[in-house]
Amino acid sequence: MDIRRVAVLGAGRLGRGIAECAASKGYDVVLFSQGAGGQDALRRIEKSLDRKLAKWAITESEKRLILGRISYTLDLKELSKADLLVEATIDHFYTKQELLRTADHLCRPEVVFISTTSTLQISELARGINRTELLVGLHFIPPVPEVPVAELVRGAHTSEQTADIAKQFATKLGKKVVEIRESPGLVNPRTLAVLVNEAAYLIDEGVCTAQQAEQIIKDSWGMNQGPLEMADRLGLDLVLNWMEQLQDEFGPRYAPCPLIRRYVRERRLGVKTRLGFLAYNEDDALITEAEGKKEGKQED
Amino acid sequence: MIIFVLNCGSSSVKYKLYNMKDETVLAEGRVERIGQDNAVIMHQPAGRDKVSMTMPILEHTAAIRECLNLLTHPEHGVIASAAEIDAVGHRVVHGGESFSDSVLINERTKEILDSLASLAPLHNPANVTGIRAAEKIMPNVPQVAVFDTAFHSTIPPYAYLYAIPYSVYQRHKVRRYGFHGTSHKYVSQRAAELMGRKIEELKIVSCHLGNGASIAAIQYGKSIDTSMGFTPLEGLMMGTRSGDIDPGAVFYIMKQEKLNLHEIDSMLNKHSGLHGMAGVSDMRDIEKAIAEGDKLARLAYDMYEYRIRKYIGAYVAAMDGVDVIVFTAGIGENTPSLRTALCANLSYLGIAIDEEMNKIRGRDVEISTPDSRVKVFVIPTDEELVIARDTARLV
Repeated sequence: MDIRRVAVLGAGRLGRGIAECAASKGYDVVLFSQGAGGQDALRRIEKSLDRKLAKWAITESEKRLILGRISYTLDLKELSKADLLVEATIDHFYTKQELLRTADHLCRPEVVFISTTSTLQISELARGINRTELLVGLHFIPPVPEVPVAELVRGAHTSEQTADIAKQFATKLGKKVVEIRESPGLVNPRTLAVLVNEAAYLIDEGVCTAQQAEQIIKDSWGMNQGPLEMADRLGLDLVLNWMEQLQDEFGPRYAPCPLIRRYVRERRLGVKTRLGFLAYNEDDALITEAEGKKEGKQED
Repeated sequence: MIIFVLNCGSSSVKYKLYNMKDETVLAEGRVERIGQDNAVIMHQPAGRDKVSMTMPILEHTAAIRECLNLLTHPEHGVIASAAEIDAVGHRVVHGGESFSDSVLINERTKEILDSLASLAPLHNPANVTGIRAAEKIMPNVPQVAVFDTAFHSTIPPYAYLYAIPYSVYQRHKVRRYGFHGTSHKYVSQRAAELMGRKIEELKIVSCHLGNGASIAAIQYGKSIDTSMGFTPLEGLMMGTRSGDIDPGAVFYIMKQEKLNLHEIDSMLNKHSGLHGMAGVSDMRDIEKAIAEGDKLARLAYDMYEYRIRKYIGAYVAAMDGVDVIVFTAGIGENTPSLRTALCANLSYLGIAIDEEMNKIRGRDVEISTPDSRVKVFVIPTDEELVIARDTARLV
């Protein structure tokens, strides 16, 4: 089947990133969200495109074209027009399963469902729907437009054709697709969780500041973005949620550092609250140590 | 002989149908927005009303099939059936080092074309898609590939090599290829025809000035140098492309602006040139802005003219003289003031322009005065005719 219209469930950072990326590759995208801030999604996508425009990555007309391909709705009945469904909601099993079940009733029977879950099992999510062979896991890593790799996971019933459709979709979005076995946390979230946790312990023990840990890790391993900024951009509540799920599955080696729990308790959640391990300005840009000292925004 | 010329882009197909007996265009048209529900087909049969329609066209095979339907349509068509088509000529942007001339397409040709995709990722895959689609619809009709780069295959190594480690050329074939070859070939041959001289006797500087722009030095019928290089980014200032820039400046900009490869590529290709300087990329808008007193538009215009002049000077030196200068393509054909400025600044060559002739548009015209030491022509380019001629020659 020719895929032209993609439904994206969830207008969080991941959903918005997938929507922007798919629209920039020529897909028509309908973004669904019932959560708070969903209506803000288009404005935030435009902001993201404005940042690209400011760095000459796209032109004004390309920006208009991309935005013109994305629409936002609260009405799930619109799902009946989708050729492909991408579920990008928070990793909560019952919420996700309920949403997939609703979509299962509304979408045409041949439509492939992609779940972006990183900690839940595709085989288990498939139990709630009829199209078990049409459900596949494809973990896009935020920021989706920039990260060139995606993790593909088949559930117990995922058909070969479904996996191929997901691969083709991700490839068209410019991602290298790496297929791995179904396992909670996949590769990216599981390894990132360990790195973030260890850095949190170093900070908590007073060995180094967050800025120092970030700089050493980032520069010594040639990363564009260090793990603490990655965690801040994902949201420390989400990272804590990952760690707790990984702890349930694999035991105490994923037990979250108390510092992360404390930050989440204090609503120090990262970019979305302007402060996490590091501090961020209103444009979501990292405030450097020097800038932070000047403005008194760095606490560690 | 009826020749069907196709120029396939990633989401568009342009076509022209020629009767090669007298090289007349029977019909022409284009399909745009391929892949969408609202693709548009525009079809113009010669001497009759234009036809335009919107319909879902999802891929190139369907697009070419629709073109053929219109060409054979009882009301809008110009031939009774597709069986009347003797051959199909395809525009292919990059022939790499493999193709120094147009070529009859076979399995081996297609394999080589596939391998050249990395040299022109935006163009060659679409061109090859068009070839495969046309073969599917017309399996028994010979297909010919005509390359933008082929005309420049006569450039000698000392002019096509970059002064970087030779191993880079050996490993990755990084060298000057040049583009707009079919256009430079057409206008240089046409200029010789108009002069009643053999092209083998002439030194010609051909200026293809469109949204993309390049200059070629054509000595005795052969391209010996051209301003576009490994990619169409090198050389003249263009509508949105920078043309020549110090590579050191590129590294510095990347560092200062924290740009990645995609961002700097996009900046130099889509945000530079006339647009980068004056905010508009169309020369008509630049001229309008100048008339309104816009200083940056004036500066952009002067930069544009100066860069062309510098290249003409370089190519006169490369050929040890020049007999003819030809202007073609959108800006080259339609901006008399630019030609006036250029020629006035090339007085050392003994060029003199007839300002009345310089105002004529839409046809081949000699704009130099009879006593001008160098002849200057404006010749509307016709790349499709070159493709049709090459196709007829090879089948």
